[in-house]
Amino acid sequence: MNEFKSGFFVGGESTNGRVLIVDDEPDIRKVVRMTLQKASYDVLEAENGEKAIEVINSGENRLLLDVIICDIRMPKVNGIEAIAYFRQNYPRVPLIVLTGFPDTDMATSLLRQGVVDYLVKPVEGEKLKASVARAMDQRELAHL
Amino acid sequence: MATTSPSNAHPEIDIEQAPTPRPMRVAIIGAGRSGIALLDVLHQISTIEIIGITDKDPSAPGLRRAQELNVTTYAHVTDLIKIPGVDLVMDVTGDAAMLTALQEQLPPEVDLISGQASRLFWTLVQHESTLQTELLHAEKLAGIGSFAAGIAHDMNNPLQLILGLAENLADEGDLDAVHAQALDIIDAVKRTTAICRDLTSYSRRTSLRQDCLVGINGKLDEALKIARYAVALQDIDIRKLYQPDVAVKGNPDELLHVFVNLITNAVQAMEHHGTLTLETSAEADTTQVRVSDTGCGMAPDVQSRIFEPFFTTKPPGKGTGLGLYNIKNVIHRMNGSIGVDSHIGLGTTFTLTFHDESVAGERSTRS
Repeated sequence: MNEFKSGFFVGGESTNGRVLIVDDEPDIRKVVRMTLQKASYDVLEAENGEKAIEVINSGENRLLLDVIICDIRMPKVNGIEAIAYFRQNYPRVPLIVLTGFPDTDMATSLLRQGVVDYLVKPVEGEKLKASVARAMDQRELAHL
Repeated sequence: MATTSPSNAHPEIDIEQAPTPRPMRVAIIGAGRSGIALLDVLHQISTIEIIGITDKDPSAPGLRRAQELNVTTYAHVTDLIKIPGVDLVMDVTGDAAMLTALQEQLPPEVDLISGQASRLFWTLVQHESTLQTELLHAEKLAGIGSFAAGIAHDMNNPLQLILGLAENLADEGDLDAVHAQALDIIDAVKRTTAICRDLTSYSRRTSLRQDCLVGINGKLDEALKIARYAVALQDIDIRKLYQPDVAVKGNPDELLHVFVNLITNAVQAMEHHGTLTLETSAEADTTQVRVSDTGCGMAPDVQSRIFEPFFTTKPPGKGTGLGLYNIKNVIHRMNGSIGVDSHIGLGTTFTLTFHDESVAGERSTRS
């Protein structure tokens, strides 16, 4: 586990999957982590697109990351740029957008790019878990 | 004239070929409030040339305003009215003796507006001022439409926290955790209500107070808070070069609107990456506020038109073209001036300059 940088959480040995939450708001990362950990997911965090790219390229995350949940409006590398990077370099990792601003045009464009779900904050825990579960199914299919 | 025939297929050519009429040459007598109002209105009209203004009081505020507008000031009425080619003399002194003297001395070809006619003009100018206030409000409300993304972002993030924590509390057994999460929820609610408070305060109709002593540094900070709803500031390096206790006399609501607009324009010019510098300074009776960006800059032909109403370089639907026009009017009402210095590829600086001896006095008293 030496390849993991400090501050990233690595959960128990037997989990439902590994999820990266990318959001500049620590509060959002905190509640998403809380919700998904209860459903037995490992949760990694990144505060912007730049950090997210670092996380996904570090060590075993390259292979073991199952789902990315990404905000849109963030400093440095924003969500749109980060999503384009993920789709190009990690097309098998399903993406869920979790944004504070509902924008129909952007949602359509992102779903066309292969984003699995476009969720608008505040989203209920059950809905978030269902969305991650759907993304996991897609991940499984990608492995077949 | 054949070219003005209704059958002409290209009437627009007639307009271009028509000789420009000679501007009406106007002399203003009286440089008090009425004189300033006249200057502010007339100098915006291209078909009027203000040839000069005079007042028996050499410290009359309108004389300084005239100098800012490059209008010649005269110490004596006689010097002003003997200038050849004057079409109209506007006497706003309200002085019966002045009227008598003018009626005696003015050549017959020069028209005179005085007395009741002058008061009527003053009423119309005040009406114009009311319309400008309405226009300012309309433009402000149009601008608030662009806040939607920022408001949604700032409201929905704390709401997500509240919802997530509340869901967790439903089956949280650890009392310490319950206590900590309840405090987090209270804090998130406070943040949400602060957003509503800021915005309702900003969107309200501008008060008519023109003589409040407004702390500029605090007002710039307040404007930054509002501007971040319209434009993303996360990647902007913000430098504040504030001289302490800088204040000007004016309308605090209008000044906030001016700063929000200047900051928003600056950030948009940088396409969300660069340095925004807010600088305040005060020396003797002169106070200056500078808003600078390191953005795309403007060509000279654009710079010369930015204060015109409805002039915009933004795509259709993105700008009203009234922002800088309204800013100029607000600053002029405060007896201030606005200047722009811009270079393509390097950035733009807007400088607001206010002269007010009374403010300088209060500043030195406070410091």
